[in-house]
Amino acid sequence: MERMNRGKGVFRALGMSVLLALIVHGAAVGQAGQVTVAGTVSSATGQHLQGVTVVIRGTTTSTVTDADGKYSITVPSDAVLIFRRIGYREIGQVVGARTTIDVALESAIAVLPEVIVTGYTTQRRADVTGAVGSVDVASATRQTGASTLQRLDGRVPGVTVDNSGSPGSRTTVRIRGVSSFQNNDPLIILDGTPMQDTYLNFLNPNDIGSMQVLKDASAASIYGSRASNGVIIIETKRGRPGRRTVNLDVRTGIASPVKGYDSFLITNSLDYFQVVKAAYQNAGLAVPTNIYGDPNNPSVPAYIYPNDGVHQTTDTLDVSTYALTTDGKRLIMPGSAGTNWWKAVFGTGQMRDANLSVSGGGEDNSYLVSFNFLDQEGTAAFNRYNRGGIRVNTAFNVNRVSVGENIAVSRDRSYGGLDDAGIGENNIIGKNIMQQPVVPVYDINGYFASGKANGLSNLTNPLKIADAAQHDINTNDRIFGNVFGGLDAGRGISLKTRFGFNVGQGSFHGFGPATPENSEVTSVTSITENYNLFTEWTWSNTLNYVKTVDRHNVTVLLGQEATKGTNRFEQGTCSNLLTTDVNSRYIQDALCDPSTKNVFSNGGVSTLLSFFGKADYNFADRYYLSVTVRRDGSSRLGPDHRWGTFPAIGAGWRLSHESFLQNSRMFSNVMLRFGYGVTGNQQIPSGRIVSQLGGDRGDTFYDIGGTNTSVRPGYKITAIGNADLKWEENRSVNVGLDLEFLEGRGSFSADLYQRNTNNLLFDPRLPATAGSANPPIVNIGKMRNNGIDFSLGFRGTLGEATLWNVSFNGSHYKNKIVEIDGVSQSFIGPFALREQNPTINQVGSPIGAFYGLQADGYYQGDDTVGFYDDGARVGRIKFKDLNGDGNITAADRTIIGSPHPSFTGGVDLGLRRGNWDLSATFFGTFGNKIFNAQKYWYVFRYFDTNVRKDLLTDSWTPTNTNPKYPRLDATDVFSRQFSSYWIEDGSYVRLRNLQLGYNLPPAVIRWIPAARVYVQAENLFTITGYTGIDPALPAGSAFGAAGDIRDQVRGIDQGAYPSNRTITIGITTTF
Amino acid sequence: MNTRKRNQLMIGMAVVMAVASITYACKDFLNTTSQGTLDETSLANRTGVEGLLIATYRSLDCSSSSAGSWGCAASNWVWGSVTSGDAYKGSNLGDQQPINDIETYLWSVGEADDYINQKWAQVFEGVSRANATLRLLDKVVAEKPSEIPTADANSIRGEATFLRAHYEFEAYRMWGNVPYYHETDTDFRLSNVGVDVIGNILSDLDAAIGLLPATARDKGRASSWTAKAYKGRVQVYAGQYAAALTTLREVQATGPYALETSFDHVWTANPAYENGPETILAFQASVKDGEPAGWNSNWGERLNFPHEGSHFGCCGFHQPSQNLVNFFAVDANGLPLALTDPNWNANTPAYRDTNFVGGITAQAVDPRLDFTVGRDRTPYKNWGLHNRTWIRDASYSGPYSPKKNVQEDGVDGENNVGWQATQTNDVNIHIFRYADMLLLLAEAEVEAGVLENARTIVNQIRARAGQTAQGCGHAASAVAESLLVVAYPSCAVDDRTWYPMDQSATLDSLNTPWATYKIGQYPGPWTDQAAARTAVRYERRLELAMEGQRFFDLRRWGAADTTINNYLSSETTRRGYLSLAAAYAARHNLYPIPSVQIQLSKVGTEERLVQNPGW
Repeated sequence: MERMNRGKGVFRALGMSVLLALIVHGAAVGQAGQVTVAGTVSSATGQHLQGVTVVIRGTTTSTVTDADGKYSITVPSDAVLIFRRIGYREIGQVVGARTTIDVALESAIAVLPEVIVTGYTTQRRADVTGAVGSVDVASATRQTGASTLQRLDGRVPGVTVDNSGSPGSRTTVRIRGVSSFQNNDPLIILDGTPMQDTYLNFLNPNDIGSMQVLKDASAASIYGSRASNGVIIIETKRGRPGRRTVNLDVRTGIASPVKGYDSFLITNSLDYFQVVKAAYQNAGLAVPTNIYGDPNNPSVPAYIYPNDGVHQTTDTLDVSTYALTTDGKRLIMPGSAGTNWWKAVFGTGQMRDANLSVSGGGEDNSYLVSFNFLDQEGTAAFNRYNRGGIRVNTAFNVNRVSVGENIAVSRDRSYGGLDDAGIGENNIIGKNIMQQPVVPVYDINGYFASGKANGLSNLTNPLKIADAAQHDINTNDRIFGNVFGGLDAGRGISLKTRFGFNVGQGSFHGFGPATPENSEVTSVTSITENYNLFTEWTWSNTLNYVKTVDRHNVTVLLGQEATKGTNRFEQGTCSNLLTTDVNSRYIQDALCDPSTKNVFSNGGVSTLLSFFGKADYNFADRYYLSVTVRRDGSSRLGPDHRWGTFPAIGAGWRLSHESFLQNSRMFSNVMLRFGYGVTGNQQIPSGRIVSQLGGDRGDTFYDIGGTNTSVRPGYKITAIGNADLKWEENRSVNVGLDLEFLEGRGSFSADLYQRNTNNLLFDPRLPATAGSANPPIVNIGKMRNNGIDFSLGFRGTLGEATLWNVSFNGSHYKNKIVEIDGVSQSFIGPFALREQNPTINQVGSPIGAFYGLQADGYYQGDDTVGFYDDGARVGRIKFKDLNGDGNITAADRTIIGSPHPSFTGGVDLGLRRGNWDLSATFFGTFGNKIFNAQKYWYVFRYFDTNVRKDLLTDSWTPTNTNPKYPRLDATDVFSRQFSSYWIEDGSYVRLRNLQLGYNLPPAVIRWIPAARVYVQAENLFTITGYTGIDPALPAGSAFGAAGDIRDQVRGIDQGAYPSNRTITIGITTTF
Repeated sequence: MNTRKRNQLMIGMAVVMAVASITYACKDFLNTTSQGTLDETSLANRTGVEGLLIATYRSLDCSSSSAGSWGCAASNWVWGSVTSGDAYKGSNLGDQQPINDIETYLWSVGEADDYINQKWAQVFEGVSRANATLRLLDKVVAEKPSEIPTADANSIRGEATFLRAHYEFEAYRMWGNVPYYHETDTDFRLSNVGVDVIGNILSDLDAAIGLLPATARDKGRASSWTAKAYKGRVQVYAGQYAAALTTLREVQATGPYALETSFDHVWTANPAYENGPETILAFQASVKDGEPAGWNSNWGERLNFPHEGSHFGCCGFHQPSQNLVNFFAVDANGLPLALTDPNWNANTPAYRDTNFVGGITAQAVDPRLDFTVGRDRTPYKNWGLHNRTWIRDASYSGPYSPKKNVQEDGVDGENNVGWQATQTNDVNIHIFRYADMLLLLAEAEVEAGVLENARTIVNQIRARAGQTAQGCGHAASAVAESLLVVAYPSCAVDDRTWYPMDQSATLDSLNTPWATYKIGQYPGPWTDQAAARTAVRYERRLELAMEGQRFFDLRRWGAADTTINNYLSSETTRRGYLSLAAAYAARHNLYPIPSVQIQLSKVGTEERLVQNPGW
């Protein structure tokens, strides 16, 4: 809508000029003579404009308006007066018989920096009373991620961004903490059309004209229905009247992982064996001899093949028996002195990004056409992302009616079949850690090798995983945009209508390979294909009224909006392919075993209907008041509760306009702001009002007839409904202060807030005695976030030619669960990692707090609590018996850390001298804890995985009683119970971006009027104490029955695709 | 000016009309229907009720909505076998480590808790599905009296009530103190304190007996005889021997059940023998049924196959213990060596320690050994000779493989989809079979002092066991066949999967190249109750070995602490990791209630589920 609003401004301006032309035409019949003309020049919103040049066309005679916008000039009666001011559309007036000509100037089409879109309307930055963060678009373009959302990173206080290093992967944006157990994604308003998308990959970041983040309810509640997680408003660029402009931006870069496992995992086979040997000897077990032979004189075997775990595999080897059969029974691989598995899979990846845009416009039209192509290779083998897109933005004026459209068409593709974050033990990162150095990448015939033979870990060769997934393609096509129309009805009234649409389709083709090389062989090959189609449309209609009387300025907005979304998903699978050729991977009877074919589809429909109004008032730019009310109805909620009302109020007081500060030499602007408002959330699956029944062939169907090969249908309740579902409400209070000082060279802004979520939509887990149906979603929990956001900036000069600027932003929040379901004080979950739950949600603690035993050093043998039957032994991790019952049990678990940072901040530095510019962006997070679940593998060696290099030297021994790791012990499952031992400090500071640019003087290349070349580095260095690969973790992928529950598993390192260190060179040119 | 005003008016009106039309169209705009699901009304009919009942049966084994591991298995191999001394977890040290904790009685260590919770969730899912069936049945019968004929309605009610009793009994065997849920319950945080679980189970079984037809509607369903036999089982568990005698003698005398003629017909994928007269209640496994992951097969058993090099490929779990293998040794009379030789489990002769391989004929064995345990140089059903290379890590978990749950070659019994199709088969999982019931009856006879009845039953079981022994089979592949023939040339012309034993009055015997089989009957009469008790219990171990019963038997007999602690002290010399085991103590007589369920049972700060003693 805000987009329409800007469009409206354009059209009103255009309409007015056409109108004026008509007036001029009608009036131009009078006689020429000298007259004195006077009048007032004001802005479209009624402010008197000072400094407007009034010039007689064709002459140099001119005057300038005073502080009240008044002017007076003597002119010939047939003259035409031209009114000009930078940032406003120039207009002309035929004087005719008039002696008073009042003029209203429209803003120029381009969004001026001080004008921001805050919800169906534009406001001057200085007039905003809510907490609104503007993204410096120029600074954000320095990042090379595919998604616009990633460019919010570190730019706006109170906004956090998490994503993995896999190109095109999902981005998790959180604004001011976490307010719900459910989906906490902010609402995105793209060119006026609301949407939610955690990828936003279809949007070319180069097309973005402006980006605002509405952080508090007084700003966001105009979007009431879905605004409780904040709102990101994105406006794309559009043409400016005037000469056609062609921009070409090209850049290319090379990315590598910020860190690899090979920097701290063992890469030498015999070193690894020493760990195995100690682990078995300390456990009192015989050391396996099947790989390295005599434990006292171990050797890397020439060959490894499957065996019984007793004899070293070279004993009886006959290489001529080699055969890669589907069951892998006779696979033979050469023993490796030390495979670097990280290097086998990860390396460098190139990126290329090209943007071409053509824009321009005339008095009654504007246009922008842009083309984008982006190609990014991942740092992991066969992982790639590319995107192509076209955007067409136009606007036209017909009389006082304006019409136009903004449409983007795009396709993107990801290759390599990585899930959102590339995390977890089944992904290439997980597999990577699990391979031992003695296993070679290839067997003796060049096929992939793996943990064949006992003791070599169960899991698949990570390069094989990547290789098999190289043709796994995820394709997304999108048409997103809107058409709009506006009418300038005169007298400050304008009407707008906008129809926005978001139509997408996606497909995935995946291949499941046979793995004869594995210890646990999979002999079945399979393919999976799926298609999805979704359509979402939003139709909004608004009326805007602007009135200025004396120094009172009033703006009123009334509107109505309807949204409908539908989606459908179809999937098919088939196994036992006759050929695994990529061109034969179709679900056809002749290509796979037809009896294994399986298809299903599902879908959803949801609607929203809204009415809203907003009134803004300000007196002399000194006192501000705004009132908003929105009512929303949602089809997802119970029929009697589906309407919610979301009011908000905002107030501002510009102290710098008061007499006591008016002449302050220190402060040029001092503004106090206050906002209170209610926003809503209904982000739950549709259709949960009533109980759902269903059946799954693998869950409820059964061979009751004893046929062995057929099942009869069975059903169960799959989800329990709740007819009383109502809106989740978020009440937020915000107090803000803006300062501008040192003659405008310094600025400071701070916001203090509290957000309370009530009627929290949530599906509290039921005891298993209630059965496996999804529990009902209820409105029962309460959550609170308190916090502060601030930013501080300075700019100045060093000598004449050097400009510098520095800005610092920071934020802090505290999240607290106030109530869960009225019955329980906590719930564990939502899921287990290898049978243990790392998190708990407990009243009084933040969402997703880490949960486990309290580690307390190591058992030393002289412990006063003595030894227990349940696994405590000398050298194992000692836990606190918190409940004092003499046993270490699940009842001794407690909260052992929080994934939420106590402070996050960013620093932007800039320096410009002559044609050179240098900029740097730092980001830091402090006080957040990471649950390092990778310790399962590289410390506790679950599944015979690879381990950290210092494990052998820094584990407990009788002479090293306070080491980093417990005693090496192959039977120790006691120490690895989830405990504070797994918790690490996740703080880090990272140089996110460093850029050096040079503006080529126009004469250098004759045919390029202006060009800038630059070289930049992303993630150049990181300062952290975290021992894993990368403390910048993507959000986990977690879905519950009630939807997305990512925030319940924050900060758990399950082996994420690490961030990239990217070096890029680029050139930006304008023709 | 007029034109302008008219335009303005026209356009303004158009917009107003547009707004109005949207609003009008939106009268039903917010009423959307849930997509792709059924609701209660669409299933309020016979199809719905029968479907809910089928889903209730389905919970007998793991399903796609169960937790992902093997605590949900119908056979209770984790809970009844691995903890009993009959079997090790198997595989290697690192795989499925929560079962390491369970095997070594460290039941409160973190990861075991989740496994225990899988069993809890599985049985209460069954109870929940049974109750949902009963509720919908009541509703349909009340609202559409002619929808379901009375006889069928009675059977449905009887089947659901029976299944509820079964699931509650499973919970009772595990935890003792459990809540009992009826179809009228809406509070799912009932207490487990002071609940008469046995009384409720028996009352449900009585109701089921009254409702069920004498002949089940389908092979997989319960009949009144199923419920009656089950009632006897529960009574024996509850120590109600007199009542059990009445119940079980009736089933024995007039019920439809009988022993299979050959022991290898009991656990089989051969459709000719499945659901034979010995089956009382079994999970009906199916393959190639259109389910893309193979969930309806023997899912709970699918780790329990030989590893690399075998036809199956993975994963080597649930390996028979040396103690169990030694227990199959017999004396000259074909009776368990353990009855007469206190050194039956000693480490000499050496083969009793680790290498009870085929071809060692010095020690005669019960023929059931080779239908229960895969051992080297012995035909593994008809897949060829069991081979040491099939063992995942013999140094960790010994040389034996499980055998009962394995499908035969050539009967089309395995799957064609999923992670490991060769390990998902259609071998039904016996939950209660007639031999089990007879031995429970024998137990009750012993306790009632009617020792000769017990002897008759034990001899009946032994007579059947003496019918056949493991044969050559035709090995599955040419390579396997040639290895078989090289080892045992006589197998070149003999592909029977079983051999008939030489029958005589008291001793059935057979010499094969890989074993000397002997089995004798107990000469009468039995006069010593304690000796009779021992004989019945020994027979139960031999007959039901690896079937997930023994741990519950030991606890029922009050013999768990002595037996298991003896087992641990001797078996530690063979399997070093057992030295980590906690001594079996009183608290082990009941599994701990999963901590997550205790937490979920909280109302305010009160835990409605109270943890079992000692945990």
